[in-house]
Amino acid sequence: MVELATPTTIEELRALAGSGRLIAGGTDILVQMRDGRDEPSLIDVSNIADGAPAVVITAGVAELSAMAPISAIVSGLAGRLPAVAASARLFGSLQIRNRATFGGNLANASPAADMVPPLVAAAAHVVVEGPGGSRQVPVAELATGPGRTALGPDEWISLIRVPLPEGEDGFLKLGGRSAMAISIVSLAWRWSRDEDGALRGVRLALGAVAPTVVRAPGAEAALEGRAPSDDVVVAAVEALRGDIAPIDDVRASAWYRREVAGDLLREALET
Amino acid sequence: MRVNGTAVTTPDPARRLLDFLRDDLGLIGAKEGCGMGECGACTVLVDGDPVCSCLVLVGQVAATDVVTVEGIGDDHRLHPVQEAFVDHYASQCGFCTPGVVVSVAGLLAKNPRPAEADVREALEGNLCRCTGYQAIFRAVASVAE
Ligand SMILES: Cc1cc2nc3c(=O)[nH]c(=O)nc-3n(C[C@H](O)[C@H](O)[C@H](O)COP(=O)(O)OP(=O)(O)OC[C@H]3O[C@@H](n4cnc5c(N)ncnc54)[C@H](O)[C@@H]3O)c2cc1C
Ligand code: FES
Ligand code: FES
Repeated sequence: MVELATPTTIEELRALAGSGRLIAGGTDILVQMRDGRDEPSLIDVSNIADGAPAVVITAGVAELSAMAPISAIVSGLAGRLPAVAASARLFGSLQIRNRATFGGNLANASPAADMVPPLVAAAAHVVVEGPGGSRQVPVAELATGPGRTALGPDEWISLIRVPLPEGEDGFLKLGGRSAMAISIVSLAWRWSRDEDGALRGVRLALGAVAPTVVRAPGAEAALEGRAPSDDVVVAAVEALRGDIAPIDDVRASAWYRREVAGDLLREALET
Repeated sequence: MRVNGTAVTTPDPARRLLDFLRDDLGLIGAKEGCGMGECGACTVLVDGDPVCSCLVLVGQVAATDVVTVEGIGDDHRLHPVQEAFVDHYASQCGFCTPGVVVSVAGLLAKNPRPAEADVREALEGNLCRCTGYQAIFRAVASVAE
């Protein structure tokens, strides 16, 4: 039999942390338990009344609640963080967005987790709470492998701090269809353009092409300081295909993922 | 928790909302198609928002208002969405229908004049294997004032 604890304050959560597995929207954990995963005790984090509001904008930074449903984050963003919002709007279905959380998406640590690439491209941090207080971890360092994270058993993610973009940012994903599809490849980007049209501060992050979400250092270097002429785009796409290490699985072959990842970058540079 | 306006108590908080509704309360409108969030046959409204009742534990929604398809219309008077589904032949086998009707009723309560894109978004999570979506879209268009 499964036990469910339902703390309603941070203090109650702090006292319970470590005594079971957290459940937020349940859209990963309940599917995993249905497939046979044993979790004798669960701690609900979807009813914490004194947690952070869904979205708070302060000087240059958006603070997103890790425990609010994705649909609440989308409405709270009201057009800010275009890449995060684009990924959130494409996420699952309305029913899923009304329950699923950013915290669950990050902690589940799927290589295809759709909220991660825009957060990595944005150099976002998570605020991790535990019995001993809080610490900040770069989103890029949270997942250590498929399904594995740098979180301790008694820690939880409370907030995601995302610097607001100074230039452009965006997110594209390829799935089997537009709604409800696990990403075959996803790409998020951030860059600015100087007066000559050269790209500055290029950051690219890709999902579903490696055991965790990864940056693309070769492609970033191929774009940095250059205007995206045809030759530059071709070189960046080539470099990107070398940056990633996709695998064959039921959704796509490694070859196809490499091709499509490059196509997404070309599309991003042309929009 | 209130279900269709009536206060109910929930003895086992770790039970799935879908099982509680069907087995304990006898509200068998919500269906289990997949049990993993993919099909939407189990859709109910929680405080007005559509969710998959197969992926929610009762204890997580103990302080909310839940509405199932049984609470959308009643035995004597169908909800306009239900009337429209009858008039437009929008239900063949009917397995998906309770979930679809709940999703549409949830949309119309928030947005009485949805554009087609809004209707499509509201039904992203509802799979229909036999009627097809065109008859469903026609039915919804006829009630969307
Ligand atoms: C039909 C369907 C469609 C989906 N579509 C997508 C999609 O388009 N893109 C995508 O990326 N994913 C998708 N998913 C997967 C899933 O919805 C997401 O990963 C979601 O963000 C998980 O969040 P949750 O709140 O439901 O997590 P839960 O299932 O509640 O938890 C997941 C894991 O995170 C841990 N956890 C939860 N909250 C915290 C926290 N605050 N701190 C620390 N650990 C925590 C839990 O202990 C658990 O291990 C889909 C799932 C379904 C069923
Ligand atoms: S039974 Fe819940 S979504 Fe299919
Ligand atoms: S009417 Fe049969 S699945 Fe929709």
